[in-house]
Amino acid sequence: MAQQSILIVDDSSLARMMVRNIVSQTFPDWQIIEAANADDGLAKVKNQPVSVALLDFNMPGMNGIDLAAKLLELSPDMGIHLVTANIQDTMRQRAEAMGIGFIKKPVSKDDIVRIMGGGR
Amino acid sequence: MELDELEQDALKEFFNMGLGMAADSLSRMVKKEILLSLPQLAVVDHRDAVALVDNKGNEQLVAVRQIFLGDLCGTALLIFPGGKSLELVRTLLGDDVPLETLTELEQDTLLDVGNVILNAFLSSFTQMMTIEFEFEAAEFLKADCNSLLDISAHKLSCPKADKIDNSQAFFLMMDFKTAEDELKHNSLRGYVVLLFSEQAMIKLKQEIARIISGL
Repeated sequence: MAQQSILIVDDSSLARMMVRNIVSQTFPDWQIIEAANADDGLAKVKNQPVSVALLDFNMPGMNGIDLAAKLLELSPDMGIHLVTANIQDTMRQRAEAMGIGFIKKPVSKDDIVRIMGGGR
Repeated sequence: MELDELEQDALKEFFNMGLGMAADSLSRMVKKEILLSLPQLAVVDHRDAVALVDNKGNEQLVAVRQIFLGDLCGTALLIFPGGKSLELVRTLLGDDVPLETLTELEQDTLLDVGNVILNAFLSSFTQMMTIEFEFEAAEFLKADCNSLLDISAHKLSCPKADKIDNSQAFFLMMDFKTAEDELKHNSLRGYVVLLFSEQAMIKLKQEIARIISGL
């Protein structure tokens, strides 16, 4: 089976490091792809299939919701989750309406196991 | 306080988490979504902090103060510039409340809002740190910008050996903006300012370094 990969898009390097740390400890076989903004994230998945994407909402340039829409167009099977400190109900509802997951920052090991445990 | 790029990034991310929690609390109170911009964070001295608070003229600013003590000693201020505080009170109490009533209720309402927002902010800001601190009761203040941002004016009850660091303040700007405000180009801007004691600044830097080194 081909190696599975996860895309982490967040403008905060600390936030990316925190997720990377949990993923590499819990799922050492997964390849981790990082991007600091939406455009970079899109460019990186064009030639590389990704099973799971964790997207920050509030980033300079394109936000996580708009990025999620573009990723879904590219790859409808991708397991996409919005990862944000903005925990207002409206934000959660927006994610639900798009059929993507919603994770409150800071990301915990339980969150990662929940979304990646099933292989996506 | 000297911070390298990663430490600054970490501080910004903690502020971001604090802001998200504060906006969620405010959104529940006004029953509307609060639009959040990217947090604007600056570690500045007193003079620059005064310059950053958009204080047109020398009018009195309305603020809610929450002093905290323990491992972190300092004060958190929620400042409403330019008469915007009454607009927030109106948003909270509804348009049909007469102006006199609004003015009467201003102090109590802002105290409630300030208490909720500052508690949500600080609890979330420090959630990854191994520190303990307590809050004193929130207070309502009206003062000019210069004295509001002067940490020595806040009579903090820090341990005696702990000097107050007047040279630097953490400064965070947040907009309290609903979708309707955005359409009307109307912004209920508020500022969250954290003023720390010298020991608190050192503790904060240690905590940031500890969290980063664990990654």
